[in-house]
Amino acid sequence: MENEPSNNMKNVWRNQPVASVTISLAELHQKAQKFEKRILWRNLREYAASALVIASFGYYIWKFPAPIIRFGCVLVIAGVLFVVYTLLRQGAARTAPSEMAFRSCLDFHRKELERQRDLLRGVWTWYLLPFVPGMAVFLLGLFQRVMRQPNATAHVSLVMTTFGLTAAGCAVVFIGVWRLNQWAARKLQREIDALDSLGKES
Amino acid sequence: MAESTTRQNELYQEAAGSYGAALERLARGYEADPDRRRDLVQEIHLALWQSFGGFDARCSVRTWVYRVAHNVAASHVIREHRVNSRTLVGLEVLETLPSGNDGERVADQRHALEKLLKLIQQLKPLDRQVILSYLEDLDAASIGEITGISPGNVATKIHRIKNVLAHRFHEGGSHGE
Repeated sequence: MENEPSNNMKNVWRNQPVASVTISLAELHQKAQKFEKRILWRNLREYAASALVIASFGYYIWKFPAPIIRFGCVLVIAGVLFVVYTLLRQGAARTAPSEMAFRSCLDFHRKELERQRDLLRGVWTWYLLPFVPGMAVFLLGLFQRVMRQPNATAHVSLVMTTFGLTAAGCAVVFIGVWRLNQWAARKLQREIDALDSLGKES
Repeated sequence: MAESTTRQNELYQEAAGSYGAALERLARGYEADPDRRRDLVQEIHLALWQSFGGFDARCSVRTWVYRVAHNVAASHVIREHRVNSRTLVGLEVLETLPSGNDGERVADQRHALEKLLKLIQQLKPLDRQVILSYLEDLDAASIGEITGISPGNVATKIHRIKNVLAHRFHEGGSHGE
């Protein structure tokens, strides 16, 4: 009864025609170099996107002489640098091939899910919070600048509403991103819990 | 340094010779698209070659090869899953799903293989690792060593695999019914 369908499916599986791939050592060396180049380009793309934000706020530093706006821009730039640093550190934490063999599939899978979960859970501290002081100071600086314009006092409510809505918009985006990430982290945690039970005898 | 590289190359060549076909089959279980599958096979070979730089015989070469291959392939599935957001299911769910017909005759091997591949490719990575190892005729202890799943849970999963295969594929033609 060790039964026919499963045993026959083993035969079907093992006797399937497969194209044998042979990769020479020279090709493997080439592929390793190509892979490293791909990582380098990926990092460069991340640098380029950050450079764009840094250049924009660098331009504002030059454009707006008010110290408070300049200080806000410096804080935003510092926030971008912190996020880039965290992303690169996360990228470097990827598992080395030899480590893949030291870990069972369960352990490897669990660690990968944990890495993703922690990144999502901590999104507030490493992705959102670094921009909050800079954006707040920058908006405050802009608000002061606008209020110093002639006739600004005649339109106080309009100015207040505009800045209030901008600040509220930023808050909604930040909270939305945070909540989405927390939801995804909880989903991953459920998968991790399910994996944990597989490693133990019930 | 040169000696360790030579050892790394030798180990890789031996492993590629012994498990090349098994790695091809394993990749079929993880990727349906032929082009992406070819890339996956190459990625597995590259990881395998790189991994042998740190081989310390703490486990058998076979366990080493399968762990690296499954872990690379599982990362591939997770990556693709993020892009396609296709729902993957566990064996316990598959066991309860209707097969869609009265079971495939194993005698029609090509068709049965296609159906088996479709079934495997909808499984979550860890269940896929168990069923692929089972189909490669690895025993429960080896499956446990490769996957890290406890012996009791491996036994449960194998039982489920047998149930699923029995419901979806049955004997036919010369095999008798």
